[in-house]
Amino acid sequence: MLPAGCGRRLAAALSAALGEGAERRRELEQRAARSRALLRRWASEEDEQLQPEAGSSNGHENRPSPKELEELELLNRALEKALKVRKSILKTPLEAQGVVGEKSADEGPAPKSAQEQQVPASVEDVPVTAKVKTVSKKPASLKKPSPYKLRAPYRTDPDVKKPQRKAPARCVPQGPRTAGKSSSKGLLPCKQGRSHRTAISARDREACAAAEPQKTPGFSRSALDEQQSFSVGDSTGGKNSVAAGKWLFDARKKSCGSLGESSKKEDPTTEGALGRSTSPRTVTPQEKGCQLKLPLPYRKAYSRNSRAWERCRLCQTSADAAAARNRFIERIQTTFCSPMPAFSPAEIEEELKVLQDVPSLLSQYVEAEPADHPTLQREYESLLTLEGLQTTVSQCLHKLQLLQAAVESQMRLRPDCTGDVGNCSPACVPPRGQTCDSAGVLAVPLLCYSSFQELRDLFALKLQVSMLHQEIALQKVMMAELLPVLESRLYPEASAAQLYRAIYTQLCEGGKRFPVLVRDELAD
Amino acid sequence: MRPLRAGRGREVAAERDAAAAAAAAGAGPGAAGRCRGVVPGPAAPRPARPRHPPPRQSLDFWRLLYALLKQIHGGKWTESDAIDNQIRFVKSALWYHGYGRPELYQLPSNGSAGSRELLLAFSWLLHRLSLLEQLLARNRVKTGDETSVCMCEDDLPHCQRGTTEIAPEYGLEGRVDVRYLQWLNGRLRFQWRSLHAQHQEQCKLLHKLHLFTSGSHMDQILGHFSITETDLVRQPENYKQETVLDNMAEEGNMCESQDAHVEKSGLPKVTSCCPWADSLTGQIDKLSRDLMTLRDQLHELVTCRKAAWCEKVKTRQEELQKEWFSATARKIQESVELKLLDLAHLCAPKKNKMHGSGRLVFRSKHPASKTGFSRSVSKEPVSAVSATEVIRELQMREASLERELKQLQEECRQRLDEIAEGLDGVICISP
Repeated sequence: MLPAGCGRRLAAALSAALGEGAERRRELEQRAARSRALLRRWASEEDEQLQPEAGSSNGHENRPSPKELEELELLNRALEKALKVRKSILKTPLEAQGVVGEKSADEGPAPKSAQEQQVPASVEDVPVTAKVKTVSKKPASLKKPSPYKLRAPYRTDPDVKKPQRKAPARCVPQGPRTAGKSSSKGLLPCKQGRSHRTAISARDREACAAAEPQKTPGFSRSALDEQQSFSVGDSTGGKNSVAAGKWLFDARKKSCGSLGESSKKEDPTTEGALGRSTSPRTVTPQEKGCQLKLPLPYRKAYSRNSRAWERCRLCQTSADAAAARNRFIERIQTTFCSPMPAFSPAEIEEELKVLQDVPSLLSQYVEAEPADHPTLQREYESLLTLEGLQTTVSQCLHKLQLLQAAVESQMRLRPDCTGDVGNCSPACVPPRGQTCDSAGVLAVPLLCYSSFQELRDLFALKLQVSMLHQEIALQKVMMAELLPVLESRLYPEASAAQLYRAIYTQLCEGGKRFPVLVRDELAD
Repeated sequence: MRPLRAGRGREVAAERDAAAAAAAAGAGPGAAGRCRGVVPGPAAPRPARPRHPPPRQSLDFWRLLYALLKQIHGGKWTESDAIDNQIRFVKSALWYHGYGRPELYQLPSNGSAGSRELLLAFSWLLHRLSLLEQLLARNRVKTGDETSVCMCEDDLPHCQRGTTEIAPEYGLEGRVDVRYLQWLNGRLRFQWRSLHAQHQEQCKLLHKLHLFTSGSHMDQILGHFSITETDLVRQPENYKQETVLDNMAEEGNMCESQDAHVEKSGLPKVTSCCPWADSLTGQIDKLSRDLMTLRDQLHELVTCRKAAWCEKVKTRQEELQKEWFSATARKIQESVELKLLDLAHLCAPKKNKMHGSGRLVFRSKHPASKTGFSRSVSKEPVSAVSATEVIRELQMREASLERELKQLQEECRQRLDEIAEGLDGVICISP
């Protein structure tokens, strides 16, 4: 349990983030629906009808749905059984460690597979990623008067007292389960025949042990996606995102997928394959598309607009206009207050924005220099590069000093700030879409992509950057709130370990992996 | 189509007056010419106006500047704002852009005087900021599939919002279980993943549309239709001239808001007078710290390598006396300079860097394609940015953000390790 204020604030921050995300999804869905409608009508394909999983919407609810609670119930029962099985195994003599290990390995899957049938059947229609998430997060009791009570497997007192020395020795990843998965479940030593951890860690293992058997194909794919969906630089990223898409949009038929792939590879002017993969018609969408024409009023307006922009551009770039402009600017700038700071506030922000990426870029360069060199020339080259980097670093530092000085002098020049935070608003919101070079960017600038993969990478990267921004902001908020809670011991003593582990997971592992807490009991 | 709609349909009455004096409220042509005419240089005669113009004119002028500048700064402007707030806003905005005439800042805040100063300021804005072009770009009807080229919106310093006061939907009557937070976090991650899938699907649809309509657009540079244009073709009856302008403006807003979501953190409100300076100073400090660590690291590395190099050179002095070394040395120096020049470019702000949104255009590299480069390269008044550049920048940005995140996580780990020592009887083994 967390103190009220802190918990509420964090919940509010997270809910706000969820709300924004939901809004984004809605807007995107609208656009996608529109595009789909267009394509469908055009190419007369019925299989463009795609509905996102119902379970994945509902961004507004801040508590789990009854379906999720049901699943949780079932999972808990599975866990209980697993725990019972484990206990019965543990009762066998301790010396036969290896034997027991194997036996439990055999018996382990057996009862679990028995539950395998039961659990997936009831939860098939719910996105498995939701399950994965709920299991790993273990929201056993979500609010005080909850319809769902804390159950035995989540009991947090240690039920077995065994020497802990044996514990670290066995980190056996289960072969069939963790195939390639290094995410949350895989890292926990999944099944110890007779490991002697406390129930705290036991809970994890059982959780993952129970979760693993429910491996519908989508589950493994989504777990893979967990790792790979954001590795955009990876060339297989495309495939995985397509896989993710396939998973989430189950109704999609093969033809859409193949249409996508084939159009990617083929020259846009070829017709055959496209035509053949859709219904047998004489005219392909490609051909039809080439013959489309925009309505006349639009075309007229469009050409008028282009001509106007062209005139505007000529006007801007004509020599005497430019000369008169510069004269004016110079003259007026002589009347400015005499020690004008080197940078205007807008320029300061601009420079800082550029410098944001510099440290990491420079570190990359530094790390790229190998420690050992085969030849003298290479070593010389490397040395020169490092020295060059040194100069760059000092130049950047110098610039930062200049910027700091500029900030201070600008603050002195600032028109009266009444101390009310709201009034500082213009400076908080730099102009969007700042066009620095007016001559080139009068008409709509173009963003040209040359392949389908590029387009996908572009969007995936943008999303990734936004997500990272959000993560960093949330991380900072959580650090500010949660660490003091632990440091000041404001929690009931009994739950210290759980709280610690939850906070550790959240802050240090991004909520993906759990540390193992081992009770320090020496059996002497 | 009318590119400029002042205030999205809301007219500013005074605009016409000021426009006559300064610039056209319509398209740009002639704007520069007219501006030239009214700039009062020291030798130019005073404009033919009454010596003390009635206050109404300067008031309107202030309002005009307010309306225009508010559009640039992305805020929603309301006519109901009191005049002194508006004046304060205009002064702040002018300060922000670096206007330094003290006379302007000393103008009274009831708007009763100052038309000459305002005229000067306005002219300066027009030239310095390309104000008209920005407004035109902002207000234009977006007929293409637009997407933002830069990630500027995401970089906004955290504008404080009252999220700290908003309680979440279901009343948390008392304490919050940390598992609830974990669950919310999991949902958030899941949401991102679904967004990703949605985006990828949208990309596919876009690409198909672009492919299918290649060659149909009358503008050879574009070559293919956008979603809106395709819709226009399919259903021309849905698009009357007026509704086109409105709907497309809506689309445009949607497009922009797609990319411009800023995480408003629940940080407690900063009580200092100027959060702007604080946040900038904070950024500067953080960057300085990073750079200084890097500098120290480099210093060590260089000294140690230099020492090793000198050792090597000493033992092979005779070899190096030969000419090959000086020739190769020069070549090596040049190549290193080139490499670092690249870096220097990246570190300096690019003057013609693209900002804002651009229209997505598919240009296949296939030489045989109908919409090949040959025709469109001939006239290219429009600046084009290739997706590869944007991707590269985004990758850099991603790398630096990940570093930052890892640093934060490392810091947490250290602090938590310290805390762990305080907890009795428990040992933590990190994954």
